[in-house]
Amino acid sequence: MQFTTVVAVVGSAIHAPRDAKQRSLEEAMYAVAKAALVDAGVSTDDLDGIVVGANDQLDGRAISIMMASGSVGGVGRDILSTPSAAEHAFVLGAMRIATGQYRTQLVAAWSPIEVTSIPDALKLGTDPYFHRALPLDELSAAALQANALEHAVPGLREAAVGIAVKNRNNGALAYPDRAPAPLEKAWITAGKVLHWPLTEGMVSPPAYGLVALVLADAAFVKERGLSAPAWIHGMGWATEPGFLGDRDLSTAPALVEATQQAYRAAGIKDPGKSFQVAQVSDTTPYQELLAYEGLGLCKREQWLQAQESGRFAAGSSLPVNPSGGALSFNPVYCAGLVSIAEAANQVRGQAGHHQQKDVRRALAHAASGFAMQYQTVVVMGSSELRS
Amino acid sequence: MTNARVGIIGIGQSEFKARREDANYPELVREAVALALKNAGRELDDMEAVVYSLAPDALLGIGNAERLGVDAVGARNKRFMRINTGGATGLSSVAVAHSHVASGACDIVLAAGGDKVGESGDSQTILNKIWDPTYERQLPLGTITMLAMSAVRAMHKYGLTEEDMARVTVKNRANASLNPKAHLRKKVTIEDVFASRYIAWPIKLLDACPQSSGGCAVVLASERYIKENRLEAVWITGVAHCSESYFIGDRMGNNYVADHADAHALGESFERSYRMAGIKDPAKEVHVAELYAPFSNTEFHAVEAAGLAPIGKSMAMLREGQFHIGSRTAVNPSGGTLCTNAIAVSAMVRVAEAALQVWGRAGAHQQPGAKIAAASGNGGDHQFFGTMVIEA
Repeated sequence: MQFTTVVAVVGSAIHAPRDAKQRSLEEAMYAVAKAALVDAGVSTDDLDGIVVGANDQLDGRAISIMMASGSVGGVGRDILSTPSAAEHAFVLGAMRIATGQYRTQLVAAWSPIEVTSIPDALKLGTDPYFHRALPLDELSAAALQANALEHAVPGLREAAVGIAVKNRNNGALAYPDRAPAPLEKAWITAGKVLHWPLTEGMVSPPAYGLVALVLADAAFVKERGLSAPAWIHGMGWATEPGFLGDRDLSTAPALVEATQQAYRAAGIKDPGKSFQVAQVSDTTPYQELLAYEGLGLCKREQWLQAQESGRFAAGSSLPVNPSGGALSFNPVYCAGLVSIAEAANQVRGQAGHHQQKDVRRALAHAASGFAMQYQTVVVMGSSELRS
Repeated sequence: MTNARVGIIGIGQSEFKARREDANYPELVREAVALALKNAGRELDDMEAVVYSLAPDALLGIGNAERLGVDAVGARNKRFMRINTGGATGLSSVAVAHSHVASGACDIVLAAGGDKVGESGDSQTILNKIWDPTYERQLPLGTITMLAMSAVRAMHKYGLTEEDMARVTVKNRANASLNPKAHLRKKVTIEDVFASRYIAWPIKLLDACPQSSGGCAVVLASERYIKENRLEAVWITGVAHCSESYFIGDRMGNNYVADHADAHALGESFERSYRMAGIKDPAKEVHVAELYAPFSNTEFHAVEAAGLAPIGKSMAMLREGQFHIGSRTAVNPSGGTLCTNAIAVSAMVRVAEAALQVWGRAGAHQQPGAKIAAASGNGGDHQFFGTMVIEA
C-alpha cells in the first residue's frame, strides 16, 4: 500500500459520559463529534465525508448508522458505515482522503451498553447450525484463545497477570477520573473465574464510551495551518476466517499480514526500535502478548522475560498501552478506534497525563470479532513520510 | 478529482428467487463471486481486498454475518471490511472498493455480498426496527408505508396517479422478462396492477418489489493493472453519496427540512457524481439509468433526482413513451429493484447492470448504443443515497 495522497489525524476526542443514564446516545455522539472538530480547529462545514463504525447487534437497531447521521453532521453529507469493526471506519476514512476526492473525513464510533445482555447479543453472531448452541461470545472466544496461548507457552499466566497490573496502573494515572479497576496482583489472579483462564480481574466490564477523529489531507493541513498533525505512514488490515475451528488460536496470521502491509508502507525495518509508544489490543492481557509477536516487537520465547523486566512498561523505551488500554476502560466495539486515537494523541503531543516524551512515531493496533478475527495496524508519525 | 481511473472488470449475479434453498448464505455469496471472477478472468488469489456488502443482519438472523462470509469471498488473511448503508449498501460497497483502488492502497478489489430476504420471514417487521425506538418505531412504519406516504405527497404536489404508478410496473416487468437474472419476469398489464390488492394505499402488490434471495459481486481494478494485464473494462467516472435526516417527521408538516415527495439528497448525490464525471446535461448525456426504486411511485422522483426529467414532469414523459428501452434514456432496463430485491446487493445489481449496459453485454435488455450509464442506491428510511456514473 502506498497512498497517493498524504493523510493526517488532525483532531480527536474520547468521551466517557459520566452521566450515562441522563445522556442519550445521540447527545453523546454529538458531543464527541463536536469535541473532535474543536480539537482539530475546524467546523462541520469543513467535513467532506463521514465514516462511522456502527454495530446493529449492540445498538439494538436494524441499520444503526441511520440514527447516527444527524448527530455527527451527516445530513447533506457523504456518510458510510463499517459495521465489521470501528477501526475499519478509520481505514476507510483515510483511504477516502487518499483518493483525492475528499479533503477531510470525520471518523466516529461508540459503545452502547444499553443492550440487556451483551453476551446474548454477541451470541447471535455465531453460525446458527453449528455454534449457536455453544456459550460462545467474545469473552468465551477470548478465553479459548487464552487457553491456546497458555498451552503453547507454559507459564504464561504469570505474564498475563503482570500485563493486567501494568495496564491498570497506566490507566489509573492516565484517567484518574474514570471508574477505578483493580490494580492488585492478588485480586487479578484470584478473582472470580468468568471463562477459564480469565478471571473477573483480568478483563474490564463493558463501558459507555465514544470516540471521534478528524482526518485531513496535507493541503488542507497547510491551508488551515493546523497544528501537530499525526501523519499516517502506513496501514494494514486483514481478517481471519469466521469459524474458530478453522484457526490455530495461539497464532495470529492476519495480524502478521496486517503488520507487513503497514510496515511496508511506512518503511519500518526494525519495529523494536522504530516507535516511541504503542497502543495495542488488550481486551485480555493474552491479546497484548499475541500483539507483541504479531507486531514484531517481541517473540513468544521472550514474552515472560519481557514482561518481568518491564520492557514495555511506562518509562521504558517502548511503553505499550500507556493509556491503560481496554484492560482499564473497555468501550466494547470501539476500543480499537480508541487505541488509534490514543496513538495519534501521543504523536500530536496531546495525550494528557500519560503523554510520552519525544514521540516521533507511534504504533496502533486494533482487533475485533471473536478471538481477534479482524486485525488492523496503523503507523503514525510527527512528520510527513517521505517516499 | 480522483488520482487515477478505476475500472470494473468482472460482474457476477446469482439467480434471484423468492427462496434459494439450494444454497446457504455463504454459498449464495460464493455463487456470485465465482461468476464475477470467471467474468474477469481472475482467481480468488488475485484479489488484494474484499469489500463485503451486507445491509441489516436481522434479515439473515445472524449478527455480523459478514464474519461467516469471509471464506465465501476468499478473504482469509486479506484486507476485508463490511459496509452497511441499508438498501444503498451494494452501491456503497462498490464505492468503497473504488476508494481502495483510487487511494493507491490496492490494484484489484472484490466487492461482494448476498441476501436471503425471501427466507427472512417478514422483512417489514424487521425493517420497522430501523426507526428510533422512542419516537417513530411505535408507528406502523415499514419501508412500504414510508414510501406510500411519499406517493400520497407526490399525488398532492405533482398529480401522480395510480395509473402512472402502474405504468412503471408494466414497463419494468416487461424489461425483467428480457433479463434472465431477474426475479419477477412475468409481464403484467395496467389492469393486472389495478386488480392486485392494496398493501398501503396507494401502493398495491404489483407496485411493490419482491423479497428476493441472491448474491452479486463486482471486481474493480486500477487502470494500470487493467492495461498491464490487457483486460477489458468499463470505467467508474463519478461516485458520491448524500444523506437526508433520520426522522421521517422532519420531511413532513410545517418547517420540514426536505419534502418527502422528492428525493432531495439523491439529487445532491447525483450532482456530485455528474460533476466528477464532467456530465453537464444528464438528460442528454446519460443513455441508460439503473435507479434504485423498490416501489413504482419512487421511480419518478429517482428519475427527476437523476436529472433525467424536470421535477414533477417524469409521469408525463413516461406516458409519452420515455424511459423505455430504445428511448433517449432507458430507465431500469433490467427490470430494476421493482422486479428483484435482495436488499444487501440490490444497489450493487444497479451498478452491475449499468456496467453491462455500457459494455454492450446486457443481452435482450440492452439499451442500443449505451455508452454512459447512471446508477443509484437508496438506504435507511429514504435517508442514504449513493450514485455512480459508469462509462464505456
